[in-house]
Amino acid sequence: MTMAVAATARATTHPRRVRTWAMAAALALSLAAVGIASYLTLTHYSDPAALACPDTGIVNCTLVTTSSWSVMLGIPVAVLGLVWAAVMTALTVPWAWRSGRPWVDRARLAASGAGAAMVLYLVYVELFRIGAICVWCTAMHVTAVCLFGVVLAARVPAPPGDLGPSPG
Amino acid sequence: MSKATTGSSRQVRPTTKNQSTKSATKRPPGGSPPGAAAKKRAAGGHATATAATKRPPASSRGGRQAQGSGTASGRRAPARASFRSRHPVLTALVPVGLVVAVIATMVLLKATGGSSPTASHPASSANTGATALPASVLASLSVPAATLDAVGSPASVVPPTTIGGSGAIMRGADGKPVVTYIGAEYCPYCAAERWALAVALSRFGTFSHLSGTHSASADVYPDTQTLSFYGSSYSSPYVDFQPVEEATNQQVGGTYENLQTPTSAQSALMSTYDAAGNIPFLDIGNRYVITGASYSPQVLQGLSRQQIAAQLSDPSSPVAQAIDGTANDITAAITNVTGSQPSSVANSPAIAAIAKKLGA
Repeated sequence: MTMAVAATARATTHPRRVRTWAMAAALALSLAAVGIASYLTLTHYSDPAALACPDTGIVNCTLVTTSSWSVMLGIPVAVLGLVWAAVMTALTVPWAWRSGRPWVDRARLAASGAGAAMVLYLVYVELFRIGAICVWCTAMHVTAVCLFGVVLAARVPAPPGDLGPSPG
Repeated sequence: MSKATTGSSRQVRPTTKNQSTKSATKRPPGGSPPGAAAKKRAAGGHATATAATKRPPASSRGGRQAQGSGTASGRRAPARASFRSRHPVLTALVPVGLVVAVIATMVLLKATGGSSPTASHPASSANTGATALPASVLASLSVPAATLDAVGSPASVVPPTTIGGSGAIMRGADGKPVVTYIGAEYCPYCAAERWALAVALSRFGTFSHLSGTHSASADVYPDTQTLSFYGSSYSSPYVDFQPVEEATNQQVGGTYENLQTPTSAQSALMSTYDAAGNIPFLDIGNRYVITGASYSPQVLQGLSRQQIAAQLSDPSSPVAQAIDGTANDITAAITNVTGSQPSSVANSPAIAAIAKKLGA
C-alpha cells in the first residue's frame, strides 16, 4: 500500500514520461550547438579568416561567414545561432523536461522546428548563392537537425520502465 | 544597346551604357481533462505508472480517439500509439527524414549543375570563350606582401583620383565600404584593370568562381588575357565589392551581347564621376575614382593568363610593375575607406606611403 502511494506520487509529479536518453541527448546536442555557435560568433567579431577550416574546392568557411548572407536584419547569423542554441539549452535542461508546463513543450518543439527550417534556408544559401560550404556551419546544421529529431522522439511517451529521472 | 567595338586611342574606353499535440502532459492516456486526471491520480487512478502497465500505452490523441469508440479507427489508434511508444526514433525519423531529403535534393541539384553563380555564367556556353581559371592562376592573385612592397607605386601607373572627403563613405547594406566596378568583357582596358583589382581585393577577402576570358579579338589590344567578375562571388569582412560586367566579348548583330546592367545607383555614380561613360569605371567608397585603365594593356600582349600570373610575384617584371603597382594604389585607396583595416595591409610600408599620398 505504501508502495502504491509512492508510485502515485511519482506519477503525479511526472507529467510526461520522457525517455532518459532523449533528455540527455537533447541537452548534449544543445550544449554542442552553444559551443559551435560561440566559436563562430567569436571569430565573426575577431578575425573571420582565422576559422579552423580547410579551403579546398567548395569548402571555404571564410567565404561563407563573411558573405552578405552572413547577416540577417543587421544581426550576424552566428549570433542568431548562438541565441537559438542558448534557448534550446534552456528548454532541454532537466527542469524544463519536468516542468509539465505545456508552453515549455510547445516552445521546445517550435524552436527545434525553426532550427531545422533555418538549416534548409542556410544550406540553400551556401550551395546556390555563395557557392561554398562552411564545415563549422555544417556541424551546426547537423546538430540542429539531430536535435529536432530527438525533441520529436522525446514527445512520444515512454513506457514505464524508461522514465526519466525523478524530480526532486 | 550597342557598344563601341573599335577606335579606342587612349587608356579609357568609350562606350554607350546599356547597358501537443495537445501536449500529452495535458491529458493522460484515456483522454480525461487535466482536472479529472488529477482527481484520478489522487485516487490512485490510471495515470500512475502501475496503472499504465495494465493498459496499452497510448498518446493523448490516441487515447481520445479510442475513448468509448468501437470504430475501426478507434481500435487502430491505440495500436499506432503503442508503435510510437515502442519506436520513438522511427517516429521522429519521418520529419527528420523529410529535412534530410530536402538537403539531399539540393546537394544533388548543385552537383548536377543546378542554378549556381558559376552555372549561370556563360562560361558554360561555347560562344564567350570564358573558361575556368586554373588553380595556379587563382593562387597567384594573392601576391606576397614583400613583392607588393618592392613594387610600390611606379610612375608608369596612373593613380586613382581623389574625389574629396566631404561626403560620407558609400557603404553597403552590411555597413562595409562599397567598391563599384563597371566594365565589359570585350574591353581591353577592363582586361588590364581587372588583374590589378583582383590582386588588390585578394588582400581584403576571397574570390570564388572567377573565370578566365579575354578582350574582343576585333578591338585594339586584341585577345588580352584576363579574368571576369561575371558570375563570381567575393566575400570580405572589410569591403563590399559590387562588380558589373556589361557585355561579353562576343558580337551578336554587330553589338556585344549584354551581360549585366548597372543599377540606377551605379549608373548615377558613373554619371557623376565619369560623364563620358568610359570603362572600366572604379569607385572606391565614393572617395576615389578610376576611369580607364591605370596602365597600358600593351604590357599583357601576347601573354597567356598563366604567364601573366607567373610574373606577378617577380617585382622586376613589367607585368608586376603594372599590375602590382596598380593593385597597390587601389589597395591604399581601399584602406583609406576601411579605417586602415586590416592593419596588416594598411601598415605595410608601400601601402602606408601611398595611402598618405592619396589623402583621405
